[in-house]
Amino acid sequence: MIELIAQVIVAGILLGGVFALIASGLNIIFGVVRIINFAHGELVMLGMYATFFLHSIWGIDPYLSILAVAPALFLVGVIVQRLVIQPILDASAISKIFATVGLSLVLMNFALILFGGDFRSVRTSYSDSTIGIGPINVNIPRLIAFVVALVLFAGLYSLLRYTFIGKAFQAVAEDRSTAQLMGIRVERLYLLAFGLGAALAGVAGALLMPFATVYPTVGISYTLIAFVVVVLGGLGNMTGTLLGGLIIGLTDSFSATFLSPSLSTATYFVLFVVVLLVRPSGLFGKGKGTEEVGLR
Amino acid sequence: MKHRSSLLLALAALLVLAVVPVFVRGIFIQGIFISIFFYTGLTAAWNIPVFGGKLSLGQAGFFGLGAYTAAILYVDYGIVPWIGAFAAILVALLGALVLTPSLILLRGPFFTLASLAFAEVLRLVAIYWRGLTGGSTGISIPFEPGWQNLTFETNVPFYYISLMLAATSVGISYTIYRRAFGYHLRAAASDEEAAQALGINTSRSHVVAFLWSAGITGMLGAFYAFYLYTLEPNTFFSLALFSLQPALNGIIGGMGTVWGPVLGSAVMTPLAEFLRIYLGDVQEGLNFLIYGLVLILVVQTIPGGIVSVLSRLSRRLGFRSEEASAKRGNDK
Repeated sequence: MIELIAQVIVAGILLGGVFALIASGLNIIFGVVRIINFAHGELVMLGMYATFFLHSIWGIDPYLSILAVAPALFLVGVIVQRLVIQPILDASAISKIFATVGLSLVLMNFALILFGGDFRSVRTSYSDSTIGIGPINVNIPRLIAFVVALVLFAGLYSLLRYTFIGKAFQAVAEDRSTAQLMGIRVERLYLLAFGLGAALAGVAGALLMPFATVYPTVGISYTLIAFVVVVLGGLGNMTGTLLGGLIIGLTDSFSATFLSPSLSTATYFVLFVVVLLVRPSGLFGKGKGTEEVGLR
Repeated sequence: MKHRSSLLLALAALLVLAVVPVFVRGIFIQGIFISIFFYTGLTAAWNIPVFGGKLSLGQAGFFGLGAYTAAILYVDYGIVPWIGAFAAILVALLGALVLTPSLILLRGPFFTLASLAFAEVLRLVAIYWRGLTGGSTGISIPFEPGWQNLTFETNVPFYYISLMLAATSVGISYTIYRRAFGYHLRAAASDEEAAQALGINTSRSHVVAFLWSAGITGMLGAFYAFYLYTLEPNTFFSLALFSLQPALNGIIGGMGTVWGPVLGSAVMTPLAEFLRIYLGDVQEGLNFLIYGLVLILVVQTIPGGIVSVLSRLSRRLGFRSEEASAKRGNDK
């Protein structure tokens, strides 16, 4: 029993790292552009499909494909920001919700039209290989996904903290108009933020591919996961996002093992609503400007 | 006296629609009318909380709850759907009560997300709980024609039933909009704090509006179950069909207005059927792709929907004086 629990904990933590990566993209888009992106899961879905096709057509390894998926999704993000979000930046909250809901419909059905409704997964030589740590067996693709996610997370953290662009992001997040007065080109920064957020979602999709399946409507659950994580960790709070990701990973892993795999999604949706109600500022404190999008 | 004239217009439309089945015999066309009526009812119900600025994407949850309640009561316990429909309303109201804390505490996109999660959880539970719902296979309602069983040989009875349901939903929405309660909601939508400062219990208004919306949606679900007579979770709890589609109709028609949902459903449902039939064969999903694009474009160019375009047009053509329009204020 203890071994099983240890196994479940490890699996949960590994998955949680990827969830945190997905959510960090959402969090950047939220923090800088102040948009609640309902289509975030669809960006993950695009990353998964890109990885799948790179593998099935050219036999490119899923981890190698990150090099192509990241820039491609960055471009998608920039285009979305320019065509969909930019025109409605000053519109009402309801308009913003609907613009990204519309985007999610477009991307989901775009995938259905181009790729069909089949469930697809990438089988690699190492898909099922495990490495034993004591009595616990760790699935190698999940371990790699976790490690890569952590490395990217650390990179993101230092980008935000130590570079000029990161400081510009923070300045815009703090006060858009003052940042503009200080000479920051806000709209260009928005493009960058959305692109970066989309690229992170895409990379997460690539990391998921060796052990997850992709289908056109898979995005909804990733959108909701990303939201649960971000809300749990505190909107705009990056460290919180990492911890939130781990908590949801554990929840997923425990409910799938001890309840039923088909109910694990339901479990964190319930958790999501409960957290929103009990502690809308997140477990670890929220970032600035969350009132603007309706969290008190 | 705008609202008297709009009532007269609605009554006239109702009368015209009432004689349509006499002339239109085709099952296909009648089916489209029935779809329009169901969606008009659903969209008008979705729209009631929108008066107060609350955007729900959980309507599929209430719809499915209502449908399954009526169907299970009939198939397993032999309770006629006319009574089942009342049970459906009650169960949908209970579902709405589960969501009320998030309705009161959460704003903007977070309530929308919570409502979306609510409907998705119900869908997953309906798939999982085979003993009650039949899982993914679902429930079939036996074909035993008769009024008491709400099962008919032709489409005509359902034509009138769905027309009455739509009229009820729009009527309730109209009444709410016109009464003090509707003004409270609209005040809360434009500035929650200011409305509270004026002594309006905005939380209570939001909850009551939401209960109306859920109850009507549950009732529509019950009748729709007997119209389709096969239920399965992915249809009756479908995010696309019963949460997004009403919202889409509403925003395209003009959300937060009484007639916007009616116009939106009247325009979008035939379009949806057309796209589904003619493009669905060519390409599954193309209809929703087009919806998504329309949605983005509408939000970007005419956020007030068809209603706002019409009222601008009628002002320009001089049907309504500038003064009267100004007096009606935000009464889009």
